Amino acid sequence: MNFVRSVCGISAVPVSDTIVALSTPPGRSGIGVIRLSGAHTLALVRRLLRKDQFAPAANRAILQTIIDPESGEALDRALVTYFQAPHSFTGEDVIELSCHGSPVLLLHVVDALLLLGARAADPGEFTLRALAHGRINLSQAEAIRDLIDAQTDSAVRQAAKQLGGEFSARLQPIKQALLDIIVPLESSLEFVEDDLPDITLARIGEQLSNLIQRLDALAATFRSGRLLKEGLKVALVGRPNVGKSSVFNRLLQSERAIVTDIPGTTRDSLSELLSIEGVPILLTDTAGVRPSDDPIESIGIERTRRAMTDADLIVVVLDGAQPLTLEDDYILAEARKNKYLIALNKSDLQTFRLSNLDGSDAVGCLAISAKTGAGLDDFRRALLKPFMENRIQETGLLVTNARHYDLLRRAADSLRSSKHLLESRVSEDLLLIGFYDALRFLGEITGETTPEDVLSQIFATFCIGK
Amino acid sequence: MSFDERFDVIVIGAGHAGCEAASAAARMGAQTALVTLNLDLIGQMSCNPAVGGIAKGHIVREIDALGGIMGRVIDRTGIQFRLLNRSRGPAVQAPRAQADRSLYRIEMRHTLEATPNLHLRQGLVIDFIVVDGCIRGVELQDTRRLSADAVVVATGTFLNGLVHTGRRTYTAGRAGEPASIELAERLKLLGFPVGRLKTGTPPRLDGRTIDWSLFEPQPADERPVPFSFQTESIAQPQIMCYIGYTNEHVHDAIRANITESPLYSGQIKGIGPRYCPSIEDKVVKFPEKNRHQLFLEPEGHNTTEVYLNGFSTSMPAEFQQELVHKIEGLEEARIIRPGYAIEYDFVDPRELTPYLQTQRIKGLYFAGQINGTTGYEEAACQGLMAGINAALFVQKREGFRLNRDESYIGVLIDDLITHGVDEPYRMFTSRAEHRLSLRHDTADARLTPYGYEFGLLGDQEWEAFNNRRERVTHLRSALENTRFKKTESTYHSLCQTLGMDLGDSISLAQLSQRPNVDIALIREHLPLELRSCALAQLETALADILYTGYVETQRNNQERIYHHDGLRIPESLNYQGISGLSHEMVERLERVNPATFGQARRIPGMTPAAISLLLVHLQLSSTV
Repeated sequence: MNFVRSVCGISAVPVSDTIVALSTPPGRSGIGVIRLSGAHTLALVRRLLRKDQFAPAANRAILQTIIDPESGEALDRALVTYFQAPHSFTGEDVIELSCHGSPVLLLHVVDALLLLGARAADPGEFTLRALAHGRINLSQAEAIRDLIDAQTDSAVRQAAKQLGGEFSARLQPIKQALLDIIVPLESSLEFVEDDLPDITLARIGEQLSNLIQRLDALAATFRSGRLLKEGLKVALVGRPNVGKSSVFNRLLQSERAIVTDIPGTTRDSLSELLSIEGVPILLTDTAGVRPSDDPIESIGIERTRRAMTDADLIVVVLDGAQPLTLEDDYILAEARKNKYLIALNKSDLQTFRLSNLDGSDAVGCLAISAKTGAGLDDFRRALLKPFMENRIQETGLLVTNARHYDLLRRAADSLRSSKHLLESRVSEDLLLIGFYDALRFLGEITGETTPEDVLSQIFATFCIGK
Repeated sequence: MSFDERFDVIVIGAGHAGCEAASAAARMGAQTALVTLNLDLIGQMSCNPAVGGIAKGHIVREIDALGGIMGRVIDRTGIQFRLLNRSRGPAVQAPRAQADRSLYRIEMRHTLEATPNLHLRQGLVIDFIVVDGCIRGVELQDTRRLSADAVVVATGTFLNGLVHTGRRTYTAGRAGEPASIELAERLKLLGFPVGRLKTGTPPRLDGRTIDWSLFEPQPADERPVPFSFQTESIAQPQIMCYIGYTNEHVHDAIRANITESPLYSGQIKGIGPRYCPSIEDKVVKFPEKNRHQLFLEPEGHNTTEVYLNGFSTSMPAEFQQELVHKIEGLEEARIIRPGYAIEYDFVDPRELTPYLQTQRIKGLYFAGQINGTTGYEEAACQGLMAGINAALFVQKREGFRLNRDESYIGVLIDDLITHGVDEPYRMFTSRAEHRLSLRHDTADARLTPYGYEFGLLGDQEWEAFNNRRERVTHLRSALENTRFKKTESTYHSLCQTLGMDLGDSISLAQLSQRPNVDIALIREHLPLELRSCALAQLETALADILYTGYVETQRNNQERIYHHDGLRIPESLNYQGISGLSHEMVERLERVNPATFGQARRIPGMTPAAISLLLVHLQLSSTV
């Protein structure tokens, strides 16, 4: 079987750009693997590690420090494994970075690689490359095809459709603005004998600057979108022994914090990352707040106050089986300075009452039981709800968004190169290359704009017909 | 079965498609009959007497590079040559020429009559002879039966043609010529999906009744750029054309009488081209425009007839005359032939293989307006491709197709068979994703090797081609290797002439890309032995240099998308058997029945997921 020759026929040239994607499922996990494939893989990783001489032996994992190309700060210590072409999954140079499994961190590393010049992989693209290089056999490929099939599963497709739809709608005006530049230019080339309005290059320059700005701004919202980028900081607070640590463990689904009946067991703040609907959340279990002479406990309480200030959302845990105490009131008053949610714990106890506390300025008040898990699903959703309004499309699949971000940036870069050409007064046909490239990148998000669409706009805008 | 005459290939119709088809098939050695209704109207220009223009001019040069005849004929009969977009990039420049309508006809007939193996026959084809799904010949109205294993149908607007002038309608192929009614019925009976299109033409004026002083003259180029790579120079004397405008009085009159137009009374059902609207359409759709441009184009050296370009109309004849009188300079002008609209049948081109053969009947080829296109050039290139393929077919050789990245012809045929048409299809440069690589001046480099291979170009032309390419290559390397350094006196005189800083040193190639650098200046600085080179070759070399970087970048950018386009899809492929493909996607694929992955990828509405699935499936099945 000589796959490359028989299949690619006319053009057996391997695709030359280097692609990157997160290969493990999005969300919190022990480790997350980021995979690169393509001719520039090693060069990209050298820049990511800031080691020009980095020459790893093939098939060996080596511990390395990943450096943020923008800030120069260390991002993570990761195991780097190099698979040299053609002895890799895709048949190209491949590197796998096994990072710590925080979604935030992984996204950051993928972003860094995009910034260094990698391209976000299309769905199934690693497999396609493996096929193109004859690296996988029929049964393996069939297994992978099933994987691609899974991407068309109704649930996933539905989600993708919604996400894509909303994002597309936001991009539509930008795309139209781009067409508003293309259409007069193109018609001036195609209908040179028609009586068309003059085009001023200065005006195109203005339109372009505006467009680039809008694309950059949109790309920036992705970079700075905190929900996705940094995750959400949630602090569990309350007086001692209301069950904060139980709630904490229940949310993490592990016995992470020590739980006893002894008030003040949690002396120090304890943070863990979890993922709710794909959104990374840094959950902090705090020491119960009460007057204390114990120096260690006092330090813990001080830390709790700090955690409350830092948090994006404070969850005030109350013991619903007991009347409110002064301590509870004190904590509620502190929490009111920030966004807060009330969790009335111990709904499993007979003495539990939905008390008539004043929680009108809280973002919600829910009855839960850390012991039985009752109300926990609603509670999880309630944690995200205050942040969902404007940023819903950014809570989707990690890779999808990295792809969108990448495409937006490429579109802006294409326009920038055309703008540069515009300033050096080259012919319209050359300017249009960048415009069409940008249109195509946006089209990968919103659906393609065909030459027919452009022509339709021309005919709708101008009276053509010598 | 008895036949009166036997041929290898029969071509029906001697318009721009038919002439190319018959000429190509005959020169490839096939005994070829060209059947036409009227031998005196071979190569008739039914609408405006002009060839070329942006994208269309590109096509003519491609036809010529392949060994077709349109370029040579127009070069001998063109009376006003202009290179359009001269101030723009070389990729969007193209030649256009006004033709002497009757000279063009005569020259075309002469060319065909001088072609060995080509037999002209006058008659009306009324039936196809089909046996077991294969074409075997045609029957004429005069009862003659002609046999052939390949038939090219190039019937233009004649298929079920219906002319409209005001409320009057009559069947005709062109004004004054009979339509082809039986053949249209026969195509329907054979099961071809037939639709209706519309086109129109403006009135012709008596030049002696025009006040020419009120129009703005538009001269020919001083240095005409010919269409054919074989043409050394243009011999026809060049004439002047004139530009004028309609006005509010004309528009008001049209608005007041709009119901007289069959376009607006509902009488015309066929779809017309948006880029070639009638004057009625222009006035209605762009009410804010208070004037529309008109071109007065003389029809030839030996006639006073003038073509009123931009004023296509199907209004009643007497009203057309009224409208013309409202135009400044045409107050006294008399109409010789009124404008009219014509509706005609076309067959959904998605019926065709990439070789322009019908999928329904083996050996039957369609070319030109029957496939939903408009324009002489679009028709001619299909005729050429159909003629080549008909000859290859009867010679039992493999079919010939062109790719989108090597020619506009490839773009045109691929668009037709992939998307079909919903209005008359005209070529635009923006339809070609590889526009920069499809310059008119490189048509020979792209296509002449094919033309030579098929015998459509002789040894002499092949040698001329190779010499030309060699000289361009030579020039290119001279431009790149001639450098001027700060230490040389030429460098300083250049700086002075151009009034700019040229860095440490500069090559002629780099210099040519600076703004305001004249080609004459470049030529002056070439090595001595190259200074006498042909201007066209120097321009080609400079354009090559200008585009190299862009073409490469563009190719890289597009590679990811187009990488697998050549992958063939087996005809037997069962799309329903591809797991994960939605019902809708299966339907789309089945309707188009793409021959390659590239064609499938361009089907409107295909989702990226479906494309990925198809690609994986194709790659899998070709490895088993």
